[in-house]
Formats: sequence, C-alpha cells, structure tokens
Amino acid sequence: MADALAKTGFLGKEEHAPTKTFVLWRPTAKTGLMSWLTTVDHKRIGFLYGISALFFFLVGGVEALLIRIQLMVPNNHFLTAQQYNEMFTMHATTMIFLAVMPLSAAFFNFIMPLQIGARDVAFPRLNAFSFWVFLVGAIILNIGWFIHDGAPNGGWFGYTPLTTKLYSPNHAIDMWVMGLQLLGVASIAASLNFIVTIINLRAPGMTMMRLPVFTWMTLVTAFLIVLSFPAITIALVELMMDRLFGTNFFEVSGGGMPILWTHLFWVFGHPEVYILILPAMGIISEILPTFARKPLFGYPIVVFSGASIGFLGFGVWSHHMFTTGMGTMGTAAFSLTTMVIAVPTGVKIFNWIGTLWGGHISMRTPMCFALGFIWMFMIGGFSGVMHAAAPADAEQHNSYFVVAHFHYVLIGGSLFALLAGIHYWFPLMFGRKVSEFWGKLSFWLVFIGFNVTFFPMHFLGLNGMPRRTFTYDSNMGWGTGNFVATMGAFLLGIGVGTYFVVMVYTFFKGEKVAKDPWDARTLEWGLPAPPPEYNYLVIPTVHARDDWWYEKHHRSEVAAERAVHAKEDAAHGGIHMPFQSIYPFIAGVGILVGAVGIAVVDADPGPGLVGRKLATCLVGFAILLVASLLWSLEGNDGYHIHPEGEVEGDGHGH
Amino acid sequence: MRWPILSAKSTALRAKTAIALAGAALLPGCSWIRAFDLNGHQSTIDVEGPVARTQTNLFYVTCWVTLVLFIIVGAVLAYAMVRFRAKTEADEHAVPPPQGHGNPLVEVGLISGAVLALVIIAVPTVKGIFYTYDVPEVQKGEAYQVTATGYQWWFKFEYPAEQIAGHGALTTGNELVIPAGRPIHINLRSMDVMHSFWVPKLAGKVDMIPNRANLLWLEAEHPGYYWGQCAEFCGESHAVMRFRVIALAPSEFNAWLNSQMAPARDAHPGAQPATAEATAQFASVRSFGQNETGATGAFEVSPLDAWRRKQLPDSNEDPALIARGRELFSEKTCSTCHTIRGNPSAVGIVGPELTHVGSRSSIAGGLLDNTPEQLRRWIHNPEAVKPGNKMWVTGYVPNHITLSAGDEVCLVSYLESLK
Repeated sequence: MADALAKTGFLGKEEHAPTKTFVLWRPTAKTGLMSWLTTVDHKRIGFLYGISALFFFLVGGVEALLIRIQLMVPNNHFLTAQQYNEMFTMHATTMIFLAVMPLSAAFFNFIMPLQIGARDVAFPRLNAFSFWVFLVGAIILNIGWFIHDGAPNGGWFGYTPLTTKLYSPNHAIDMWVMGLQLLGVASIAASLNFIVTIINLRAPGMTMMRLPVFTWMTLVTAFLIVLSFPAITIALVELMMDRLFGTNFFEVSGGGMPILWTHLFWVFGHPEVYILILPAMGIISEILPTFARKPLFGYPIVVFSGASIGFLGFGVWSHHMFTTGMGTMGTAAFSLTTMVIAVPTGVKIFNWIGTLWGGHISMRTPMCFALGFIWMFMIGGFSGVMHAAAPADAEQHNSYFVVAHFHYVLIGGSLFALLAGIHYWFPLMFGRKVSEFWGKLSFWLVFIGFNVTFFPMHFLGLNGMPRRTFTYDSNMGWGTGNFVATMGAFLLGIGVGTYFVVMVYTFFKGEKVAKDPWDARTLEWGLPAPPPEYNYLVIPTVHARDDWWYEKHHRSEVAAERAVHAKEDAAHGGIHMPFQSIYPFIAGVGILVGAVGIAVVDADPGPGLVGRKLATCLVGFAILLVASLLWSLEGNDGYHIHPEGEVEGDGHGH
Repeated sequence: MRWPILSAKSTALRAKTAIALAGAALLPGCSWIRAFDLNGHQSTIDVEGPVARTQTNLFYVTCWVTLVLFIIVGAVLAYAMVRFRAKTEADEHAVPPPQGHGNPLVEVGLISGAVLALVIIAVPTVKGIFYTYDVPEVQKGEAYQVTATGYQWWFKFEYPAEQIAGHGALTTGNELVIPAGRPIHINLRSMDVMHSFWVPKLAGKVDMIPNRANLLWLEAEHPGYYWGQCAEFCGESHAVMRFRVIALAPSEFNAWLNSQMAPARDAHPGAQPATAEATAQFASVRSFGQNETGATGAFEVSPLDAWRRKQLPDSNEDPALIARGRELFSEKTCSTCHTIRGNPSAVGIVGPELTHVGSRSSIAGGLLDNTPEQLRRWIHNPEAVKPGNKMWVTGYVPNHITLSAGDEVCLVSYLESLK
C-alpha cells in the first residue's frame, strides 16, 4: 500500500518547476517558536495537544476544587449561585472537550502512526489545522472569565430554552455555542485524518486484524466523532440562529421545541461518552499485555466488542432522557438497548482479566494505573447498569448518584487510562522513565483521593441530593457526605499535583533509559527514544499481531529483510518528509477573529450598517479565506532525507 | 443568642452538625459513617408510596445483581493479580509465559452469563416502566387530578376539580396538599425553561418541559409531610427551587380544601391601619448571612403537626398592623404580580397566589420556613435569598421599591394573617 502510494504523485513526488514566490515560502525552522507554529510532524502536534490538554486539565481541576469547597458545608457562600453555575458548566465542558478529548488526541497523534508503521498522518497540514482550531475553540470557551459577561453558565448540556436569548441574554452562551462548534470542526477534521491514515498508511503486512488495539480504538473513536458531531453541530447552528437572528427552533414563544434540543444533544452526547472511554480502553489493552508479558486475551473479541460499542452507542441516547416523558415504549426500548451495550463492555473486562491470567505481571506504575482502571471502571459500569433500569433511574437521574457514576467512568476510567498511558509511553516520547516510587505514590494518592471523593456521592444521590445545586440545607442529611467528598477532592488534588510535578521533574532530570524499557510488544517500541522526525528509517514489514515482540524473537530474519527494503527505499530517493506550513496557523487566527466577532462583540446598533460586529467577522473571514487560498497554492510538496541525514528539496529539480 | 426565633431543637441540630463536621475532620472512622446515611428528607430508599417503592425495589434488584457480579469478577481479578504477579526481579526476567491468544469457549460462556444477569434486571425493569408511567387502569377512576407548573424558581399547583366562581381552579404555590391513600395524577407544565418535579419519597422525577404535556403519578401511603425540589438545572437559583407535598387523610384533606376555597381571611374587618412606624415585632432585627439556612427546625420533629398549627390564626396578631399591611400590599405594587382572592386590587398572576400564604409552612419557593422573621428576610432583600428572582429583577429594581422596617412589619403581619 505504501509502495503504491509512493508511486502516485500523491506524496509529492511529481516534478515541479521552481516557481515558488515570496508568499509561498516554506518555513524550515526546526527549533524555536516558528518550528512549533509551522510544524506538521504528528509527534509535535501530539505534544501540542498534550500540553494544552494538561493545562486545561489543571484548569478544570481547579474549577472542581472550587465546586467542592462551595459544597463542603451546608449553606456555604464561598461562591455565588452564578459563579457556581459557571464553575460546573465550565468544569464539565473543560474536562470533556479540553482535557480528555485532546489528551486522547495527543495519543492518537503521537502513537497511532508509530503503531501502524507510518511516517506521518495522511494529511499533515490538516492535522496542524485541527490543533489550531481546537486551541481557538478552547480560547473562545474561556474568554468569559476575563470579560464582564462571565463564563458560560447553562450547563455543559446547554438545555434550551434556558440557553436561548430570552433567559440567557448576554454573550456567555454565545461563547459556549461558538467554542463547541469550533471544537467540533477540529475533532471532525482530525478524525477524518486518522481514519484515512489508519486505512491507507499501514505498513506492509499490517492487516486490520494485526492492528494494535489502541489503533483500532482510535479508528472506532474517529468514526464515532465523524458520525456524532454533526448532530450537535446542527443543534448549535440552530441555537446560534435563534440567538443571533431571531429564528424559532427552540424559542418557545415562537413555537420552538425544547425537546428537539435534548434529542440532538444526546444523539451526540452519548456517543461522546464512548469517544471519551474507547481510547482509554485501547490504552489499557496495550498496557496489560506488556506487563503481563503475554498477548491480549481474545484480541478479535476485544476489537469486535469495541466496534459494537461504537455501533450500539448510537442507539442509547434517550437513556439520558428517561425523565422527559417519552412514554412507555420509548423508555422500554432505550432501557433494553442500554442493557445490551453492557455486554460488549463486560466482555472487555473479562478479556483483560484473561490477559492477566497465567501471565508474569510486573507491577510497574503504568500497570498500577491500568489495574486501577479495571477496578474503577467495573464500579462505574455496574452503576451504569443500574441507570439502565429506567424506573430506578427516575430516582437517580440528575442526582449525585449519577455524578458518582460518571466520575467512576471518566476519572476511574478515562483519566486513569490516560495517566497510565503517559507513564507507559513516557520513555518512548522522551527517553526517560518516571521513578517507580514517585509514580506509585502519585497513583495511590490519586486512587484513594478519587474514591474518597466520589464513593460517598452514590449515597448522597440515593439520599436525594440533586446535582447542579450551589447550596443545600443543613437539615437534609447531606453534610457529612459532602464534607468527606471535599476532603477526598483535596487528596485527589494533591495526588494529581504530585503526578505532574513528578512528570515535569522526570522530563528534565529523570532516569535515562534505552529503547523499549518495558519489553513491550507493539511496533512503536522498536524505535529509538525519542523517535526521529521521520519515525522509521525503513518502513517495517509486519509479520504478526504483536510485531515488535515477533521481531525480538526473529531478529536475524527481520534484519535481513530490512536491509533489502532499505536499499529499495534509497532507490526511491530516500525518506520523504512533508514541508512545514504556516497557513494552518494563520487560518486558525482568522477563525479566532471571526469567532470573537460572532460570539463576543456586541451586536451592531442598526441593520444595513457595517458596525464592529460585522467588521470583526469579515476581517476574520478574510484572513481565513486568504490562508486557505495560499494553503492550497503552496501545494503538498515535501523533501527527502537520506539515512545519513542529507536533505534535498524535491520541489527543486528532483 | 442572636437567634430568638430558632427553636432549641434546631440549635441542637446545628450544634450536632458542627460536632459531626469537627469529628469528621479530627476523628477519622468515627462520624464519617454518617456519609452513608440514607434516611434524609429526600431519601430514595426510605420511601412512602407505591411508585417510589416500585422504583426502589427495582434499584435493589440492580444492586444485588451487580453486587454479586462485582464480587465474582472482582474475586477472579484479585486472584489473578496476586497469583500471577512477578514477585522478584528474577520473576520479571524469567522466560515469558505461553503466548496464548484466548479461548472462544470461555468467551461464549462469559457472554451468556452476562446476558442472563441482564435478563434478571430487564424483566422487572419493563414491568416497572409500565406500572410507574401512569395510574393503573383499575385505579384511574379514583385518581385525583392536579396540575403542577414550573416557573423560575417556584412551583404553581392547581386543582382543576375545585373551581371557584370568578377565579377558575383553586391555586396554591410551592406546597401541594394531596389526599393520602389515593393515586394522584399530576399534569406537568412549564411556563419558562425546563424544570423537573421530584418528591423522592413518593416518586421519581418527571421533567416539566415547555410546549410538552408531561404527566406523573404518585400516591402517599399515609398522611405525611414530604420534601421535594426541582431536579433539572433551570438557571441561577435552581438549587433553591424547592417545594413540599403534604398528604392528609381524606376528611382532613376536604376540610383543607374548604378553607382554601374561601377567599382570603379578613381578620379584623374595619380595623384602623397603624400609622406610626411599627418596629416592635422585629426588635431583634438582624441581617441574615448570605445563603444562610431557612430551615428553622420547626418542621424537623413532627412536620405534619407543625404544618397543622400553621393553619390556625396567630393568637396575638395586631389588627392595625394587618390593616396597614393590606394597604402597603397595593402601594408597593405587590398586588400587580400576586393574587389574593378577597383583596380586589391583588389580581396579578406573575407570582405565586398568596390567598392563604399564611397557612403554608414554607415561603420563597420552599426555601425558607414560614416564620415572621424569615418572611421579613425574604421581602427585605429577595435578591439575597434567591438570586435572580423576578420579584427583585422585574419588581423591586425597576419600580424602585423600598420598604422601611415598619413597612416590613406590617406586610409580614398581613401575609401571616392570610390563613
């Protein structure tokens, strides 16, 4: 496949006359700010996603702590009602869209191309564009903290008509709508890129059923994103039209239907849950075999169950709406589909245990987080089954029981796996390894803090405490549970703080390790740490499911084969690398200006005049247009690196 | 003590809470156990009606099934973690174990087991869905109808069966009084944004959605006093949008209906309005802390009896203050938003109907106990009690309403006299 592609003009091998002008200058900086603004290297883009995600993870964590301080005692007034509503809205929005999703995207970017033996993603500049648009969305969402209108306060689910102009007149909701819309653009563009990459750029011999499970879950997640985000995109466009132009999609006085929003939102919102958890399951499915030192138990079934979770995930959205009065048949149908989705989820847990069974388990830090994941995800999964029983859910819905449930899935699940993944791939990314003592200490702090915070919330919910409430009365019996939860939250905060301090320390001063310190199994571990810009000196030929493990046990045979391929590659002109480009970044700047115009600038006084709002939007649009034009004119050229490191431009007389 | 109206009981409660909190911080393992209490006013476990009982019983089914699964799977996982752990460096570098790829028979067996466990949950789930949705067919005839409408941030309750000439259906606010032992069919409506009607001890929640006619049914097994609150985020003061349900024996319910059907009580016809500033009643006027509790403890021990006491006029009410309060109710434009049947100027429909507000056990959307001091606190600065509320935003602020201490005393006297 890669050979076939190399023979087409697609990878930039066609002849060009040297006609590049000043505006179509191709940046070549390899260090400094410019190198980051113009990078198209999937590993660097992965780092950009990762750093942004960790930053917003800390922001979301601070929001969470403020929420917990407010609820520490009954009738507290640490925050006002308005501030509290902003906090829980932004905590959820931040953690979902600006922390967990981009952290998953960081792994998709960094790890997935390495796992399939590729040199980059299929569309490197589009990949950079996805990141910049993500960053713009994140900025738009958070501008509210710094301006008078305040941060979005309508909940991460933004139910109408509360979020219509009538009930939320200022720009807070505009920023939320615009921010999410842009994050959708970023996610869909990135996902299409990943899908094309996984389908087209696999190394020879890397059949679909040899794909590492993490890459499989990347593929399923990418499809989920591409198929589910259009639903919220429609909903957000309609809400924005209501807010900006006075349409009546959700405006009740004009005959709008608020229930339409809830359906559109959850048609997106439920697959979103799997968008958050499937990458985590993929990471776990990499870590467990490595540290149990045997292959994943039932690989085809794990892959198939991941895919069926993806399919079924589109058929359960209304279980978020059991209390909206859907009637008996609708409720029963969604109740049963929700139970069905528990089966493939349970299957994964069985197979992870099967992987451990008969292994030689090395209890290293990534493994601690991975095992913690299984335990916590089991609890979250089981409380999820409880919600599937719709009549029981009528009591639990919107109570702290639900808060407990989804934090077990999202922290105990997604976040534990992502923290495990950082530990696991840290040696590959930076050539250094986190100290076992400090790694395990941070694990236990996080694990205990997490449970002390969220386990009592099951009981708070069963005792009738509703969520999204800035205060509760002292006579309701919720004082102790909340106090314990807040203490746990501080411990969790200390744990997460320890984790990051240790990471930063390790980045600068950690123990240096040779490649493959875990004796791992998948292709990426055969690379030097950190991997060179071009990843693979010679595109590997894949012989088995855990190909690096296979290579380690068939060294001479693989080496001989590789020597032959190296000669063939050299005959093709060396390693082909795409040029860097500044235009994805400039397009992002244009979108930022336009989005500020739409969401932050006050409406112009009268029609027919070009006021500040329209002018800002037009300037942003013009920048975007020019950047897109130059982006397409500069072409998809690249240059060649020869194994010795010699560089030669192929747009210049190659 | 700066808190004269508080009963000793509530002070004791606060003290207990403080001790519990201090204990939780200082003595781990001692009072932490209270974090697992399930006997609060809004408990979904300690339920008192057939709908909530069906829901709770189903919860127990899911709980036991998943608990058994958790113990089995957890035991296997724990065993694997201990048994197959590499104990030494040498273990870690030993020859790798056999590279097995799985066992289809084990997979099929486990999948079947999981499906079976889900069927155990699915059967009562589907039965429960049909039972809890609407009043069972055989009981439909005896079901009592009410309509509950959500507003930002209070509940309106209407009794379509009780029509009052010239006014329409009997209307109350924030306290739903129902006959015990009889199914209640509640029509759920919303006037603005989405809300959700939830009385945990009687029934799970159903949302109140604009442009959508939802319904819910519940039944109280015996007379009682129940706490409820809005369970769908509905804006700034969502957390303090609360209400009560009071279930009465049929005869007492009918007596209550009769008293409510009557127009507002004119306590002392012909009394001269007080003219001087009357501040005596709030000699101990104090400012309330932001977000301070409105629970005075009066409804903790025997809430239903406390509610019954509220039905009776206060023995030492002052006719002059009441008469002046009635004038102020119009002067301060309260009457443009609130209806008081029997007060011809009070015909507004934006806010809760206040015809018998003095007989309610709570005010401000179930947030504050209905005592003179709490009522004064509410009308003194509504924004501090319930941020963003309409009385403040569309009443006090645009109309520049200011109340002197004397005005407050008179208004409180008037409203409390409306039994």
